[in-house]
Amino acid sequence: MMKLLGLEAYKLRRKRILLMLLLFMGAELAWMFLSMSIYMARHGDSAPWENLLVLAASLNGLFMPILCAVVVSRLCDMEHKGNTWSLLAAASVKSSSLYLAKFICANLLLLLYTVLQAAALAVFGIVNRLDGPPPVALLAALVGGTTLTQLAVTAAQLWLSTRLPNQSFALCLGMLGGFAGMTAGFFPAAIRRILPWAYYTELSPIKTVYDSGSVIYELQTAGVALPAVVLLMAIIIYLAGSRHASRQEY
Amino acid sequence: MRNDTVVSTARLTKAATGGYRVRDLNLRVGEGEIYGFLGPNGAGKSTTLKMLLGLAKPTSGQITIFGQELAKHRQPILSRIGSLIESPSYYGHLTGLENMRVMQRLRGVAAKQISEALRTVRLEQHQHKRVDHYSLGMKQRLGIAMALLASPKLLILDEPTNGLDPAGIGEIRELIKSLPGRYGMTVLLSSHLLSEIEQIATSVGIIHHGELLFQGSMEELRAMGRPQLSIKTEHLNAAYRLLQSKGIFPEIRNGRLYIKLLSDDLAAGLNRMLVENGFPVIRLEEHGRSLEELFLELTGGERSL
Repeated sequence: MMKLLGLEAYKLRRKRILLMLLLFMGAELAWMFLSMSIYMARHGDSAPWENLLVLAASLNGLFMPILCAVVVSRLCDMEHKGNTWSLLAAASVKSSSLYLAKFICANLLLLLYTVLQAAALAVFGIVNRLDGPPPVALLAALVGGTTLTQLAVTAAQLWLSTRLPNQSFALCLGMLGGFAGMTAGFFPAAIRRILPWAYYTELSPIKTVYDSGSVIYELQTAGVALPAVVLLMAIIIYLAGSRHASRQEY
Repeated sequence: MRNDTVVSTARLTKAATGGYRVRDLNLRVGEGEIYGFLGPNGAGKSTTLKMLLGLAKPTSGQITIFGQELAKHRQPILSRIGSLIESPSYYGHLTGLENMRVMQRLRGVAAKQISEALRTVRLEQHQHKRVDHYSLGMKQRLGIAMALLASPKLLILDEPTNGLDPAGIGEIRELIKSLPGRYGMTVLLSSHLLSEIEQIATSVGIIHHGELLFQGSMEELRAMGRPQLSIKTEHLNAAYRLLQSKGIFPEIRNGRLYIKLLSDDLAAGLNRMLVENGFPVIRLEEHGRSLEELFLELTGGERSL
C-alpha cells in the first residue's frame, strides 16, 4: 500500500495540486478574516474565538466539498485520460488497493489543508487579540469534525470520479455538496442526518443559537452518535465504490 | 521453436447480450513463438487478450498461463507478462522517463532496466519530453517499453501497429521480431492485417465471430494455399474413382478435381491417362490461393484486411 500511495503522490507531479489547495485556502481565509474584521469593527474590536470557529465550520461546508471534488477528480482524471486503469490492472495492481490508495491520498491532502487552516485561524486570532487564549481543543475538534466529514464526502466523490470519465459530473456533485454544506442549517434534522455535507457544521465544536434577536455561541459536543453516523456513512459509500471498481471490466 | 505451451485456453467463452464475443476458444501458444492472432475487426481478438490479462472475466472456460490457472494465480502470472492493450496507456503530464519510473516501481525492478527498455525502443532521446507531446508512434513505443520493462516471459500486444505510418510499422515489426531471440520471450500479438501477421508471426490463430477457425504454424497456413493442379473434366465422379484406383487421391471442389501440384511430365501423363480412359480434359490449370484468399475464404469474405 505504501508503494501505491507513494506512486499516487509521484503521479501528481505537474498537476499543481498544492498551488490549488493554497488558492482555495487563500479565498476561504480571506472571506473568514474579512467577516471577522467587519465583526470586530462593529463590536469595538472585541470578538470571541467562537465566532471565528463558527465561521470556519460554515465556510468549510461551502468550500470543502468543492475542493474535495477537485482533488479527487485530479487523482482519477489522469487515469481516465491516459487509459491507465487497464495498464495498472494488467500490471497486477488490485483495483481495491488502487482505490484505497487514491482515497488515502485525497484525504491526506485535505487533512493537510484543514490543519494549515486551523493554524492560520490561530495566528489570525492571536494577531488580532481575540478574547482569551487560543482554544487549542476547539481548533482540534474543528479539524477532527471536518476530517471525519471529509471521509464520507471523499468516498462519494471517489465513487463518481472513478465510474464516470467525464469529471464535470463529479464537479457538479461537489458544487451541490457545497450548497448543501452551506445551507445545511436550514434543513430539518432528519435530512441533515443523511446528507454527508451537513456534517461540516453538525460536527462543529461551536453552534450558533439565536435568542431574542441576539446571537449566542454555545459549545457543541459531538458525542458518539453523530461521528459514528458519518463514519458509518463513509464506510458504506467507500465499500460500495470499491466493490464497484473491483468488478469493473476494461 | 520449442513445444512447451505458455498459454492455453480450454473452451474459453465470453457471452454478450444476444450472443457471444468469444466462443469455445482453444488457444495454444508455444514457448518462444510469435503467435499472430488474426481476425477482422470485432472478431473477438481484444476480448480474448483482455481475458488472458484478467481485464475481463470469462463467462466459462479455463485459461492456463505458464502452467498455472489464471483464475487461481492471477498475481504471480501477471507479474511475468508485459502487455499493450488497444491504445497505449500513459500519464500524459509526465515525461517518458517518469512514466517508466511509475512502472518500474510498480513492477519492483531495478532502475537501470529503464534505460535498457528505452534503448530497445529507441526512445532515449525523448525520455525527458512530456508524453502529451509525443507522436502516436512514440507513444506506442513507450507502451512497448513499459511492457518490456520487467523482462516478461510473455508479451501480449493488441494491434501494436495501429495508427502508425509505414516507417513506424516497419520499426515496430522489426522490434517485435527480435524479442524472442534477444530476450527469450514469447509474443502473442493481434492484428486485423494479414500482411503484418505474415511478416512477423511464426504461428497463427484465425478468429472470426468469436470462433477460432484455424490454428497452426505459418508453414501450415501457407501449405493450405500452395498451388494445386485443377482438372475440369466430364464425368467428374467416375474420373475421381479412376484416379483413386491409380493411387492418386484428389479433392473435389467447385466441380473440379484438385490434386497436389505435379511436375510437368507427371501432369502430362495424368492428362493422357484421363483422355485414354474416356474422360476428356476440358481444363488443366495450376491453381494457387494467396494467404489473403485463404483468409477471406476462412472468414467468409469479411474484408478488414
